[in-house]
Parts: sequence; structure tokens; C-alpha cells
Amino acid sequence: MKIVSFRNDVLPLKNVLFRLALRITMNKEEAEDVVQDTLMKVWDRRDTLQDIDSIEAFSLTICRNIALDKTKRSSWREESLDQDTLEPRATSMATPYQRTEQRDMLEMVKRIVDGLPEKQKTCMQLRDFEGKSYKDIAEVLSISEEQVKVNIYRARQAVKQKFNENAEYGL
Amino acid sequence: MQNMDYKYIEQLLERYWNSQTTLEEEAILKAFFCQDDIPASLLPYKPLFAYAKAEEENVLGDDFDARMEALIGEPVTVKAKVVTLRQRMMPLFKAAAVVAIILTLGNASQMAFNEEGDEMPAAVAVTPKVHNGPSVAMGDSVKMDTLKKTVAVSAILK
Repeated sequence: MKIVSFRNDVLPLKNVLFRLALRITMNKEEAEDVVQDTLMKVWDRRDTLQDIDSIEAFSLTICRNIALDKTKRSSWREESLDQDTLEPRATSMATPYQRTEQRDMLEMVKRIVDGLPEKQKTCMQLRDFEGKSYKDIAEVLSISEEQVKVNIYRARQAVKQKFNENAEYGL
Repeated sequence: MQNMDYKYIEQLLERYWNSQTTLEEEAILKAFFCQDDIPASLLPYKPLFAYAKAEEENVLGDDFDARMEALIGEPVTVKAKVVTLRQRMMPLFKAAAVVAIILTLGNASQMAFNEEGDEMPAAVAVTPKVHNGPSVAMGDSVKMDTLKKTVAVSAILK
């Protein structure tokens, strides 16, 4: 019987979970809370983890559900309030990108991806940024592989189109 | 040569937009666009892939680990109580098993000793015969002695 260790099996998932949560909630503090709740939930169910093929896929599913719950709850707030908090977030997110000349472009890509419908950006997040297979993504979202492909196709097409539009305006 | 490389990248890019690339091919694209010298025709797409790279820097620090382990620290003991019902019985089972083993071993050795004890009378029963032996031998040697004596006496007499 495999013994699940928090430090070795659960905690290392934090960054993948954090990036997905951040993609959905678009707020660092909220994303961190989501990851914390996710890890607690996964750990509480560690007795059943031995029967689960991929702890990562299982954790990502939980993470997505918690993040969706959180965004639904926070969307009750006034939109103006949301706008106020969104601006400082954007600048704080930009600091890790050292190169200033690229920063604006990367920020633009981020805004485009964040603006996609949730399913599309989640699929894109897992595929293009985390390098997950269609099969794994299908498992996380509980949809068919074909639907994953469609979502990724739409996401990439939308990003390409918006990116080209913005680049033209920029020039 | 370089142009051929770029053609390959352009083809990959086209297939990427159509979601026909494999994960390996997407990794090639990412690696290509992370380079410094990219031809002007492909340069506009660099931020798209550079973003994927920058995304990797979105990580949670060690302070999160510490907080998480502090949080998990409690549930571990709480959870342990649920397991203890079985685990608490384990030492008892072990003790019972040890007692059982000692009892069986003790019994077995006792049996062995008892069997040896049963054999003792038989061994003792043989010994009287052995005791009889020497007396026979003694009688023999007595005869010998008397023979020796008579020989010696006759020798002296001669």
C-alpha cells in the first residue's frame, strides 16, 4: 500500500495549482487561498488517494471547482469595485518580468488569455503553459478529449486574432 | 539551412494555431521563441511563447509551505485518532501473538523434555545389566587371578 506524504506528494503540486487558480480568479491572494483550500481538501481525502491514478489531475479538478466557486461569489460584488482592484493587480503581476521592453507585450498576452471564456483559458493554461496531454486535461475538466481539443483550438484562434489586432493598433 | 529551419517553425506555428501539434512540437516552438535571434517574420509571435515561459515564474514561496505544513500539522493528529482504533489494538495483537508463540514454544519444549524423561527409565533399566557386566568380568578376572596365582605358586614350587 502506497503511503501518501503531504510534503512529497501533495505540496509539490502547489505551483501548478496556483497558476490555474490565478488564471481563473485573476487575483493573487484569492488564488493562494484556493491552493490552500485545495491542498487541505486533497490531504483530508488522502485515504482514498491510493485508488486515484493521478493525484495531480484530482487536485486540479478540486482546485478548478474551488476557484470557480470563489469567482462566482466575488462576482456578486459591484463591477466598479472589481475594476478598482484589477488595476493594481496588473502592475503587481508585471514585476516578475524583468525585461521592460517585453513587459508590455507579455502583459497584453496575459490580458488576452485572461479574457477568454473560463473553459478555454483553463484548457489553454493546462496545455500551453503546463504541458499537459489532452487526456489529462479531459480528466481534470470531466469532458471528452475532443471537447478539450475544440476548446484549445478556439482559445488559440482567439488569442492569435486578438494579438494581431492589438499589435496592429500598437504599430 | 537557416531558412529551412524557419520554414519548419512556420509550419509548426501554422499547425499550432490549428491545434494539430503534439506536446513535443509545442515544446520545440517554445524553445525556438525563447532564443534571442528570431527572424523579423516570426518576431511578432515571440511574446506569445515568451509569456508561456514567464508564466513558469508564477510560484508560491517557502512561506506558503511553512503555513501549509502548520495547517496540516493539526489534521495529522486528528486523523491519527481515527486510525488509532485499529492501531491502538495493534500492540495488543502483537503482545497476544508473542504470548501465543512463547506458550507454544514452551509447550513444545516441555513436551520434548517430557519425552526425554520417559526415556530415562529405559536407560536406567539398561544400566543394571551394565552393572552385572563388571561383576561377570570381575569373576573372570578373579578366575584369571586365581589361575595366575596357581601358575605363580607352581612356579615358586618348582
